[in-house]
Amino acid sequence: MEPIYRLKNIECRLGENFSLKVHQLEIDKHEIHVVSGPNGAGKSTLLRVLALLLKPQQGSFFYSGQPIDPSASNHLSLRRKMTLVEQFPYLIQGDVFSNLAFGLKNRRISRAEQVHRITETLSIVGLDDFSQRSIKELSGGEVQRVALARALVLQPEVLLLDEPTANIDHDSLAGFEQILHSLVKNGMTVIMSTHDPAQAVRLGRNMVRVEGGKVLEA
Amino acid sequence: MDYLYESLISAVTLIFNLDIDVRSAVWTSLYTSSTAIFFASLFGIPTGLWLGLSRFRGRRILVTLLNTLMALPTVVVGLLLFGLLSRQGPLGSWGLLFTPLAMILGQMVLATPIVANLVLAAVTGADRRILPTLLTLGASPLQTVVQLLKEIRFGVMAAIIAGFGRVIAEVGVAMMLGGNIRGVTRTMTTAIALETSKGEFAFGLSLGIILLAVALMVNLGLNFVQQR
Repeated sequence: MEPIYRLKNIECRLGENFSLKVHQLEIDKHEIHVVSGPNGAGKSTLLRVLALLLKPQQGSFFYSGQPIDPSASNHLSLRRKMTLVEQFPYLIQGDVFSNLAFGLKNRRISRAEQVHRITETLSIVGLDDFSQRSIKELSGGEVQRVALARALVLQPEVLLLDEPTANIDHDSLAGFEQILHSLVKNGMTVIMSTHDPAQAVRLGRNMVRVEGGKVLEA
Repeated sequence: MDYLYESLISAVTLIFNLDIDVRSAVWTSLYTSSTAIFFASLFGIPTGLWLGLSRFRGRRILVTLLNTLMALPTVVVGLLLFGLLSRQGPLGSWGLLFTPLAMILGQMVLATPIVANLVLAAVTGADRRILPTLLTLGASPLQTVVQLLKEIRFGVMAAIIAGFGRVIAEVGVAMMLGGNIRGVTRTMTTAIALETSKGEFAFGLSLGIILLAVALMVNLGLNFVQQR
């Protein structure tokens, strides 16, 4: 099966002091992939490159076998197939509903379908009654869940998660990992970073190790 | 002290009696300044957004130029536009000099750099996570800009209010391009300058009170919106 991502000789420079180098990386569809490595190694940068939010200066990039020029500016239709949840997510001003509806509105999903999907997704992440809740009233863990729900509601092909469990308490961890497994079972590809070795081992049959700005293994 | 007290009483009486000259100056000020800030926002907001979001060679020079334009003396703007609009000037045939339209044009020139600069500051000072978040949620370039404007709306409103404050309080442009014609181009500020020089302190004071009230109301309106 064609990998969903194939990167070769990618270099992405961020300012003067940091660059991410990917000699070769292949990511298979419909699986959980864990990106591990110490803080500052380049895990977040790799996820942003995969989400087409950062433009590498060189290298080749394939998505589902199609060559992509990641340095080009307009990848709207491709970007809509993938969603990144940042470690410290930004929530749009307003309530939880408007956050989840934003991506759906961008895709011109009908209002009835929006309401249906949002209700269903909030239930998946355990925030059933949070639809009208202002984002100012959310705890750190709830912000993280809303950000996850905001990504899930879009039903992307690829879900990219940057340290998604950083603000989730230990008791909720098993439930969260179960959600990831069920997403993959339904055909999604999940790529998540973590610096927790135990979690990496638990989830990661597919490990990507990043150290000192280099993707070491795939 | 009695003089000030009596002037204050006369000023308040003029306001409550809805004196025709007071009404006319207030209306001209509000009409010209509101129209000028509307058009200044039409140009200034996109300019600020563009400079805040794009990176290109010469951007710093443009930003420096915009900063310089913020401090444009009103009489210099008045003088330049006077040259353009006067009968001998290149735009003299338009017959705009000493009309409210000329004042609006001048005030627009004054307010646009202020609006653009403050919107630029709002964009560059905005949370750095906003743009990647909007992009990863599948926003098109237009959807991104519209949502970004919503996220920084208080900065944008402050920019518009600062621009409005600048033009409603200025004298130079209104005097030089409007000509201070009674009932036509006489604004609150030009009327204050004229009437005070004629010794009509109470009349000037009444307009000064209204000018302060307008500033207060605009700021109260902003606070109200911010608290919602």
